[in-house]
Amino acid sequence: MKNRIIVILLLLMSSQLFSQERYLTKEGYISFFSHSLVEDIKADNYQVLSVIDKKTGEIAIQLLMKSFMFKKALMQEHFNQSYVESYKYPKATFKGYIQNLKELDVQNGTVEIKGILSLHGKEKEISTIANIQILKDQINLSGHFMVEVADFDIKIPIVVRNNIAKTIKITFDLQHKLYK
Amino acid sequence: MIVLVLIIISLFFIINLYNKPFIDIKKSNPELEVTAQEILDDYLADEYSANEKYVDNLIQIKGEIAEISFDKGISIITLKDRSGFSSIICHMLPEANLNVLKLKKGSQITIKGVCTGYLFDIMMVRCILTNSNFNEK
Repeated sequence: MKNRIIVILLLLMSSQLFSQERYLTKEGYISFFSHSLVEDIKADNYQVLSVIDKKTGEIAIQLLMKSFMFKKALMQEHFNQSYVESYKYPKATFKGYIQNLKELDVQNGTVEIKGILSLHGKEKEISTIANIQILKDQINLSGHFMVEVADFDIKIPIVVRNNIAKTIKITFDLQHKLYK
Repeated sequence: MIVLVLIIISLFFIINLYNKPFIDIKKSNPELEVTAQEILDDYLADEYSANEKYVDNLIQIKGEIAEISFDKGISIITLKDRSGFSSIICHMLPEANLNVLKLKKGSQITIKGVCTGYLFDIMMVRCILTNSNFNEK
């Protein structure tokens, strides 16, 4: 326990030494949407942790799979137990860079984000265009991208294969505040 | 005829299962009752075993309000331990909103909800305030 606190404290301290421009949110929003002829499935997660280093453009996102809220209890149960196996892989992470963040001199614009998405024990490179809004003490990122279910080794039983899309739309809205 | 009846009965069960409701937080008894300090200590000691103990369970936490915020129509109550290093972030159900408005920073409250895990803070969803918060006043 002590070691862990020391490690986290060191991380926080080093980040303050090298960069005073960290932006953070613990209430980011990420949802996914699956459309099929049988049914539409949507789940929302309002507990996303995201950190941006404005100097380097580095972005790190973490979320808990169990924080995805579904309309139906049974869907949520199947999602966690059978598809993403939350007990084995409780978190999904994204680590990457906002390209050319430093050169961006407009308040509202679009940026390219490139990085690695890890989910269900599998990694996949993702590249997407996002809307960015840079305000005083605030950086907002929003947009969406598509992921293939098969890329993450998620097995869907034949019985419900028609209920779940092969390509899932991920939507994000992350409002970071300057971390002091 | 019998076959038809059987089909109707099984359809009824399938639809019922498909529409199975979420656990009623208000009416259900918590599986665990802890203080903010206890659950934070458990998570700082060992995240893996704490997950086994808390995640997916309906738990009741007693603690001090460090912060109350509203975001996208959801009210969020943050409970802190004495050191103030890590906290418990509780996302409240919409039905709790009215009662959340009556709360003040620094007061002791009891929250009931479902734990989803740990991201440097303990995350709770579908939380409500228990009645004990208001009877005492």
